[in-house]
Amino acid sequence: MAEYASSDDEERYQYYDDDDDDDDDVDVDGGDGGDEIVSLRSHGCRPAFKIITKESLMAAQEEDLRMVMDVLSLKEHVARTLLIHYRWDAEKLLEVLVEEGKEKLYADVGVTMMEHGKHIMSRFSSVVMCNICIEEVSANEMTTMDCGHFFCNTCWTEHFIVKINDGQSRRIRCMAHQCNAICDEEIVRNLVSARDLNLAVKFDRFLLESYIEDNRKIKWCPSVPHCGNAIRMDDPQFEVECSCGLQFCFSCSSEAHSPCSCQMWEMWAKKCQDESETVNWISVHTKPCPKCRKLVEKNGGCNLVYCICGQTFCWLCGGATGSDHTWTSIAGHSCGRFKDNEKVKVDRAKRETYLVRYLHYYNRYKAHKDSFKLESKLKETMQAKISNLEDKQCICKDFSWVTNGLSRLFRSRQIISYSYPFAYYMFGDLIENDLTKKEKEIKKNLFEDQQQQLEANIEKLSLYIEKPFDQFSNDEFMELRMKIITQSVVVDNLCSKLYECIENELLGSISGETHIIAPYKSKGVEKALELSVCRDMETSNTERNSG
Amino acid sequence: MIDFARVQKELQECSRDVEKSGIKVSPKSDGSLARLIGTIPGPVGTPYEGGTFQIDISLPDGYPFEPPKMQFATKVWHPNISSQSGAICLDILKDQWSPALTLKTALLSVQALLSAPQPDDPQDAVVAQQYLRDYQTFVGTARYWTESFAKISSLGVEEKVQKLVEMGFPEAQVRSTLEVVGGDENLALEKLCSS
Ligand SMILES: [Zn+2]
Ligand SMILES: [Zn+2]
Ligand SMILES: [Zn+2]
Ligand SMILES: [Zn+2]
Repeated sequence: MAEYASSDDEERYQYYDDDDDDDDDVDVDGGDGGDEIVSLRSHGCRPAFKIITKESLMAAQEEDLRMVMDVLSLKEHVARTLLIHYRWDAEKLLEVLVEEGKEKLYADVGVTMMEHGKHIMSRFSSVVMCNICIEEVSANEMTTMDCGHFFCNTCWTEHFIVKINDGQSRRIRCMAHQCNAICDEEIVRNLVSARDLNLAVKFDRFLLESYIEDNRKIKWCPSVPHCGNAIRMDDPQFEVECSCGLQFCFSCSSEAHSPCSCQMWEMWAKKCQDESETVNWISVHTKPCPKCRKLVEKNGGCNLVYCICGQTFCWLCGGATGSDHTWTSIAGHSCGRFKDNEKVKVDRAKRETYLVRYLHYYNRYKAHKDSFKLESKLKETMQAKISNLEDKQCICKDFSWVTNGLSRLFRSRQIISYSYPFAYYMFGDLIENDLTKKEKEIKKNLFEDQQQQLEANIEKLSLYIEKPFDQFSNDEFMELRMKIITQSVVVDNLCSKLYECIENELLGSISGETHIIAPYKSKGVEKALELSVCRDMETSNTERNSG
Repeated sequence: MIDFARVQKELQECSRDVEKSGIKVSPKSDGSLARLIGTIPGPVGTPYEGGTFQIDISLPDGYPFEPPKMQFATKVWHPNISSQSGAICLDILKDQWSPALTLKTALLSVQALLSAPQPDDPQDAVVAQQYLRDYQTFVGTARYWTESFAKISSLGVEEKVQKLVEMGFPEAQVRSTLEVVGGDENLALEKLCSS
């Protein structure tokens, strides 16, 4: 039984255990026999998220029901009532059972276990009076519920229909006055389908959906249009990728937003909506070249733009970067740093100051978001380049370096864009913190240094990846390959350093509300795996036997 | 659809022991079984003693699988009954309704509510406040309302009926209206004119 106790899991849910990442590398196959399950659990190796599709929903629910039915020898509808009360947290339910006993468990949930035989119909009479319609009905037209109360089938059917239409499918009580017993689902299903097949289907759907809607560990994938999936979180985590490709935050069901906390993201998303009118003028798709003033359209994901006049400039600030630029000159390009201009007149409207500050962060956030969108298209062109090379009998057969580089680019582009709203709140006045003005300034500089380094290196990676390497000579090709591999590692390290800075230097100084952010995952947001129920059943059986 | 066969049986059952319970249920003048009038005597030993209270009953389509709607037609001063509309705050008329209950058992519950007010779950906040802070005044007001609205002085009734019939209203309607408003001539006239 001990395995069911979940106090450890509870704690990990609140204080995120960031060792998980390292443990991902533990070789599962190395475990031997009996210890395997234990090691799987304690190392957090089992996938944290599972996808529940329309097809597997039934099986997933069945699994939990079956477990409670077996342990307590209950009928399905009673087990379901208990589970709904505990928001489908079977472990919690069993914990209460062990600690407080069966009677307390049933009493809390309001399940009445009546002794049978109390109201049993006389087996010898052929007609019985139904106390609802007050008609004499033949005994085989009567149905007795678990509680012993019996009424005619017509009356039961009417009762069920009213309750289902009233949205009470999950808790249809017996018709007798003050009887708390929950009606047997099998009886409900049979009687209702004899009258109205559609309603019976609806009843089953309501029961099934309860497994998702009343469940603490399951959320619908927030995709629009909806992909039909729900995700179950088996291990405390924050962000997940559904099989439909959507990455979302499990706690707030919006897009994945790390390193913003859920509160920050909620405020930011609302602000962007509120300010969208104001910002419209700024979010044009072209920018004038700082030299020839010709409008230059941004056509790649990189934020370093080329004008046909030969001038290069930074898309973020519009400043020239020198036509004979070197990588270091881009790296040193410091537009990502927002300086509060001391010459700004003191009497300037507060709103304007606020707007300037907001726009500073918004523009950078938006620019990276746009780059991300453009770069997403690279996936296809990249595939074209690869197949091109495969045809050409290229010296290199393995292209994982470029696909890895590309996903590194996606991941880091997301992080850098969300790092702007994070900074907006972290260094603004909206979130209370214990820092003095001076301390705040120092931390801000520290953070922005990290942010700029990351930013510059992401641009560099983006430039490399966009190169037409399928046209390259062998030497050029091998050189670029090396560059992309190295640059990916650099970006990875810088991402994790940025998170270190956020987690160690910044979040700790916030007072009031705690802001929890999804930790950096070098491998990207965890993909939810298709739930395979049979295997799970085996696992839980083994656990039970060994306990 | 309303189970009219059952309603019919309920009415018969009710009239059978009206002597004992004092509880009456009868169809409204239009004859439809969906709209009924219930009558309960004010419980002995309460400020409602001696009064006869009329309750408007309307049956929803799903009756008896949905609760009947009940509302006092006679004005009454009680923490759980609106002094304005006559709306009743009673759990068995809401989520605690069971199809095994009947109009008679529901009216018995309403009668029990008259004997045992629950001021912590009030329908009428003003009355409930008075009940809790100044019980004597509450009893006074409740008794006064019973006297004024819930008593048909047997002497005056025929006189009132005649007066109203002379004004041109049909006798049956006059009688039922007078019964509904608890014998108040002016209220009856108001009702007759607006119907
Ligand atoms: Zn029946
Ligand atoms: Zn029962
Ligand atoms: Zn999805
Ligand atoms: Zn979130």
